Amino acid sequence: MMPLYALLQAPDAVPPLARPVIASVAVVYFVIVIAIGAWAARRTKTASDFFIAGQGIGLWALAIAAMAATLSGFIFIGGPGLMYNVGLGALFIVLSATITNSMTAWALAKRLRLLGEARGLVTVPDAIGARYDSRAAQGIAAVAILIAVVGYMATNILALGLVVDAIFATGLVPAIWIGALIMVAYSASGGILAGIYTDLFQGMLMAVASLLVFVFALRTGGGLASMSETLLAADPAFISPWGRMTPLAAISLFFVFGLGALGQPHVVHKFYMLKDPRRLRWYPLLMTVALVVTLLLFFSVGLVSKVLVVRGVMPPLSVPDAATPTFLLQHTPLLLAAIVFSGVAAAIMSTVNSFMNIGAAALTHDLPVAFGFAVRNELRWGRIWTVVITIAAALLAQVSGTLVAFLGIFGWGLFASTFVPALAIGLNWPGATRAGAIASMATGVATTLALETLAWYKVFTFPAGVTATAVALVLALLVFFAVSWLTRRRAADEIAADVRLVMEM
Amino acid sequence: MRSSAGLRAFVLSTVLIAAAYGAAFLPGGAPRWAPLLLATGSVGTMVSVMVMGAARPGRTLGALGPVLGAVFVLLAAAFALALLLPPETAGSALWLGLPRRAAILIYGIGLLPVVLLPVAYAATFDRVTLSDADLARFREQLAAQARESGREAERRSA
Repeated sequence: MMPLYALLQAPDAVPPLARPVIASVAVVYFVIVIAIGAWAARRTKTASDFFIAGQGIGLWALAIAAMAATLSGFIFIGGPGLMYNVGLGALFIVLSATITNSMTAWALAKRLRLLGEARGLVTVPDAIGARYDSRAAQGIAAVAILIAVVGYMATNILALGLVVDAIFATGLVPAIWIGALIMVAYSASGGILAGIYTDLFQGMLMAVASLLVFVFALRTGGGLASMSETLLAADPAFISPWGRMTPLAAISLFFVFGLGALGQPHVVHKFYMLKDPRRLRWYPLLMTVALVVTLLLFFSVGLVSKVLVVRGVMPPLSVPDAATPTFLLQHTPLLLAAIVFSGVAAAIMSTVNSFMNIGAAALTHDLPVAFGFAVRNELRWGRIWTVVITIAAALLAQVSGTLVAFLGIFGWGLFASTFVPALAIGLNWPGATRAGAIASMATGVATTLALETLAWYKVFTFPAGVTATAVALVLALLVFFAVSWLTRRRAADEIAADVRLVMEM
Repeated sequence: MRSSAGLRAFVLSTVLIAAAYGAAFLPGGAPRWAPLLLATGSVGTMVSVMVMGAARPGRTLGALGPVLGAVFVLLAAAFALALLLPPETAGSALWLGLPRRAAILIYGIGLLPVVLLPVAYAATFDRVTLSDADLARFREQLAAQARESGREAERRSA
């Protein structure tokens, strides 16, 4: 995110009329977000409204909000930068997007939705607790969420601060708190209901902006064939399937971001919220099309930036992450550039809002349940914890960029290794046992934290293509199967009748 | 195709992935077959978890089984071709605007499943996933269970 900040702050880097236009569009965007939040706040009267939108949302809201929550600011800035840097291999982060939504729909959507209805569940750890009849399993799931949420939120609040500062020139620290304040205002008052409908607006903004940028990128590059010919002549490795990565490293991204999609609680949690489970019929199609359209920017901007540099139209980028802002400011209409800058803020805010909600739910609901007591007014405490974790994340973002970067690496991998075996496999396999789930979740949490920390501090270097996230996910799966097999005699007794009914549907 | 077949395929795919990563730790780095193993295992886990999710006791997957099988073959073949075909050079023919191997991956894995999987999900939704009758039966059985557990609680308290 830093290059966007640096680019917009640099003297003469932005045309004189650009900053007011970009700032005006951003103001309009923030006003719309706050207005949606105010509307949602009036409709939020119970903890169910706050955490699962009163189980009353429609298909479009579900699909677009899930898409917006899936994609963070990385898709607009870091992704094209990575593509510019390593070539087509970067696409393996998103290549599985055409598969993951159908996979999640078959494996989780219907069963989570029906389990939510049967038990009145509000969180993903709730589902794990119900499946294995285990408060310990629910508690471990809540702890994993909290660890990932704080780091991820701090990373994104810092990124949002950089965007706000780049647009309004407020200075970084005030910008962090302005961004956090806007988010906490609508998230604490309107809960996930505000989140869902701001996500709907933000997701559509992201998709439209991405589609328009894709058209401009193709036009600027002279078409896909022309760009391929330029790159094949000048840098064939860039346009090879793996780019400058090894095949193992590229396919490893496909595995981690493909199968790992089943374990992202901020996305799958939204299945509880759908009013009519029969509407799931069109969820994969709608979500996949929205996701693919939004990812066009990732693909096209990284590619065209490299082509323009090779052709000598654009000077080489000082840092790869400058690909998107540089291309937008030099090759698209200013209004579109301004919309995409707001789209970056939208992508960040839609993801963070979902994290705030599941983090607050872990503190308000899951941890108390794990310790055997219930919070009396979950709505009030949900709001309080939303404010508290946002302040904690903003403080963290303000204090240490290095610490934030370190904490930010845990998110996806921690969720994948904790939730894919116990939740996604466990809800579809009656042979999974409580011991298997607890052992695999503990393995996932411990392995991810240990290996990522060792890798971060360069105590241990993995061979090329192997990542801590991938190793933790595979280990958690193997432990899940092995321990469940060893304790298989208990499997049948551990499933409550209503949970079994859901699993057989 | 049933849930147990999906489970066996998932476990086998996980073992393939573990073997691919394990091979990367061998002296001299990952052998040439390791990416192929990882690709097959990755695709295998994703397709088999779809089978597990779609399977229901007493019902077959019907037309969905061959569709998911075809998706596995398509994805695994796309990876295999991208790994095994020779690299392109300047002047190589383009497929729909991209070098051959990149086109196989981007169109074969990144686009083609859009018209297969979500459409198959929607087309088989009533038979495989959740019909109106299924939902009504689920709610009836849930209510019956609640009544039964209520009576059980009363018996215990009495």
